[in-house]
Amino acid sequence: MVTPKHILGTFDEALAALRNNVLMMAGLTERSLERAMKGLVNRDDNICATAIADDEEIDQLEKQIDKDGVDILLRFQPVASDLRRVVAAMKLSSNLERMADMATTIARRARKLNRHPSLAEVDLIRPMYDHAMSMFKDSVDAFAREDVDLARAVVPRDQKLDDLNRMAGHKLVDRMAQDPHQLRGYLNLIFVGRCLERVGDHATNIAEDAVYAAAAEDIRHQTAAVSV
Amino acid sequence: MENLVMETTERSVMERAEQPPAPPLHAEAPMACTFQVKNLSIWYGEKRAIDDVTLDIASNGVTAIIGPSGCGKSTFIRALNRMHELVPKTRVEGQVLLQGEDLYSNTVDPAIVRRRVGMVFQKSNPFPTMTIGENVIVGLRLNGVRNQRFLDERLEKSLRMAALWDEVKDDLRKPGTSLSGGQQQRLCIARALAVEPEVILMDEPCSALDPIATAKIEELIYELKTKYTIVTVTHNMQQAGRISDYTAFFYLGRLIEFGPTTKIFTNPSEKQTEDYITGRFG
Repeated sequence: MVTPKHILGTFDEALAALRNNVLMMAGLTERSLERAMKGLVNRDDNICATAIADDEEIDQLEKQIDKDGVDILLRFQPVASDLRRVVAAMKLSSNLERMADMATTIARRARKLNRHPSLAEVDLIRPMYDHAMSMFKDSVDAFAREDVDLARAVVPRDQKLDDLNRMAGHKLVDRMAQDPHQLRGYLNLIFVGRCLERVGDHATNIAEDAVYAAAAEDIRHQTAAVSV
Repeated sequence: MENLVMETTERSVMERAEQPPAPPLHAEAPMACTFQVKNLSIWYGEKRAIDDVTLDIASNGVTAIIGPSGCGKSTFIRALNRMHELVPKTRVEGQVLLQGEDLYSNTVDPAIVRRRVGMVFQKSNPFPTMTIGENVIVGLRLNGVRNQRFLDERLEKSLRMAALWDEVKDDLRKPGTSLSGGQQQRLCIARALAVEPEVILMDEPCSALDPIATAKIEELIYELKTKYTIVTVTHNMQQAGRISDYTAFFYLGRLIEFGPTTKIFTNPSEKQTEDYITGRFG
């Protein structure tokens, strides 16, 4: 069903600009995470530096989206689906900014790892990265296409990422005991794993916000609510 | 004899002043609803202005009626105290129950209905030849009340409830029209309150007021809803969102959607409602 345009054309333009900035921010965040991972796997300090530098542009976009969102609330006083889209866009930008911070942290940890001999345990990180990025892309797709089913499907996938992180953590702690000379390296990999686990958490938040924007349903903290 | 009639009327008004609103006359009417509108249709000549509307209006709450011009909002609100009958060639089908009592029953006097269901209009309309004080108690005088002490007490009480007493207590003998637009509207609300209605209908009460006067009226509506059932027509979506507990959306004389205001303004069930409140209509 095609959503009719607003009588106020400027309202449509403002909403479209807000949405485009969110999607652009998502694209930049995805690129930043890819670069950080590439810097880690390829032991490339230059790519790590680029990933760290990307963060500035993403931070500026977060501020721009917040400003545009507040302007829309002030000028057009949106309600119903328009209000939900604006609120979701502002929350998305906050999650994307935190994801970009994770990319920066991964890149910084990668640079530290690059100063020492390579560790075969980097391979433990790869499946986590693939899973986290898959969740991230699907959550942003769900928001962009207002696909409630896809958004709902993202949320339970976070459990697998938590499990992967836990297993990787155990193995890395074991390796620390076996090979204490590489203790710092293993510790850095544990931090990288934790960053990717956080990326999954933010992807989950984005999926939840996508459901709210499209269906006006708050699916956050449902497990906790049931257990209370 | 005339004095006896007046005293009887006065006593009944004074007694009503001490009593809470009458309970529903029919057992099936839930206490929580002041109005039950059932399959209401209204014609002006050949034109059908209201089309088969069924709606319960909650007691001690604010119900906002929204919709584009010509959708039947004002006709609907006027039907709640039979004010629309002032227009010639009006015809009504269906029922409007006030506390379970059918307002359109042959035995019901429209004047009594309008005393129980007060109305405030878009444009403030104090009687130009009357003082501020006279404007407030004119309804009581028309009902035969002559006890000056009672009238004085009701005057002050009504003006206080309308949040106007402190501003006019020293000017009660000045013309009602000497007040500002916002004060005049609160004077009209005080006039409606003076006869102790059960319901107050408001037809775009703030549309001619500045933001400060509007805020005062909205604050007043918020305070009055603890004692009265309020039904208000508004074109201002933000105002409907701020002041009302329930919202009804009308289009082409039909009730499209009715529900809690928070639901209507965050997740309406009907596409027509969504299109209207988000400004996509037309």
